[in-house]
Amino acid sequence: MSGTWHRRVEAMGTTVTLDLFGEGLDDVVDGLAARAAATLREIDRVFSTYRDQSPLSRLRRGEATLAEMPPEVPNVLDACREAHRLSGGWFDPWHLPGGVDPTGYVKGWAAGRALANLRHPRVTGALVNAAGDLASFGDLDGEPFRIGIAAPRDPGALFGVVRLTGALATSGTAQQTGHLIDPFTGVPGARVPSASVAGPDPGICDALATALAIGGDDVLARLERLTDYEGLLIDDAGHWRATSRFPWVEAPRTRLSR
Amino acid sequence: MRRAPWVLAGTVAGLVGILSFRSSPQKVTLSTLPTTASPAAATSTSGGNATGGTAGPSAPATTASSGGVVSATGPQVNYFYGVLSVRVTAAGGHITKIAIASLSDGAYAYSHYVDSVSLPMLIKQAMAAQNAKIQGVSGASYTSAGFAQSLQGALSSLKLS
Repeated sequence: MSGTWHRRVEAMGTTVTLDLFGEGLDDVVDGLAARAAATLREIDRVFSTYRDQSPLSRLRRGEATLAEMPPEVPNVLDACREAHRLSGGWFDPWHLPGGVDPTGYVKGWAAGRALANLRHPRVTGALVNAAGDLASFGDLDGEPFRIGIAAPRDPGALFGVVRLTGALATSGTAQQTGHLIDPFTGVPGARVPSASVAGPDPGICDALATALAIGGDDVLARLERLTDYEGLLIDDAGHWRATSRFPWVEAPRTRLSR
Repeated sequence: MRRAPWVLAGTVAGLVGILSFRSSPQKVTLSTLPTTASPAAATSTSGGNATGGTAGPSAPATTASSGGVVSATGPQVNYFYGVLSVRVTAAGGHITKIAIASLSDGAYAYSHYVDSVSLPMLIKQAMAAQNAKIQGVSGASYTSAGFAQSLQGALSSLKLS
């Protein structure tokens, strides 16, 4: 039976939780958590759109070129191009007000980067939760992690529980409105209160969840054709529809009427 | 993309983690919460470390023999709009009630919203998380650091967390 160690990091304007599972981690957990925290703060320094002088802010204003950016910036933009392709154009950091903005990818990606710092021979599983963007490796006593998806109109309740084998991200208008821009129209356009994507890569999950919240069924159909990524939409009435292999522990009873 | 860059902040996930496992520096096994409770309803008020980050509560708790109902109040913690503390009641090693023990928030209108809407939601989700035996929540973004800190203090003093 393994034990659990829990740490919290304030970074990127939010609370990021780190959970480590394993045997006798007392002597290593703080070192691993400190590394993860340093990674998150470095990502914030480079990618924050709230800091005027962050490299990304300077790039957005045209004060610096891509060639002058830290190497993570072109790498992230390459990954965004892949997410753009996978989403059928619904995730598009290049067609947003104020210049290129990979924020819809970066928080999930940051969770994955933090997670990479938690690797250790005695760590049998780890979970990073960056305000709803989850990244994980390993398991809990041989069982996959179980993650609740918040009910969009009643965040105090859980809509369902999923098996987590890699990453999971949720986007939508349930908690925030007006922040999801439709790349095809340039105006706020989220159609779905809650959109979740599960898959291997945390950044791609984050970006695809953003796309799913805006594109709805069109993006869900694209996810159905991908082998690695699964999607879930929940509407205002609490009805849902998901890709056929969505990793429910137990599917909720209600379904979206067609 | 205003995906609420870095989002509105805070997450219930912190709570869930705190509920599921003891935080630093002790370890605890999941799903078999130790029942170190006293026969009668014992109450302990623990002091706590409210500095956030990786801090855990500093004061140990009174505990009691198994099967009893116990409760503890976490430390008073400053949050953005005021000061709060959280009270946890448990029986047989399981949380039966989480409530706000004290709250002083001045006279801000938004603070009232936070207190009347956000905190009950956090309490409900903390309970739901325990019942579902989950390790995290996706899709909820709320500032809950103050709640989490005090809850952590209360749970640790009950040795439930």
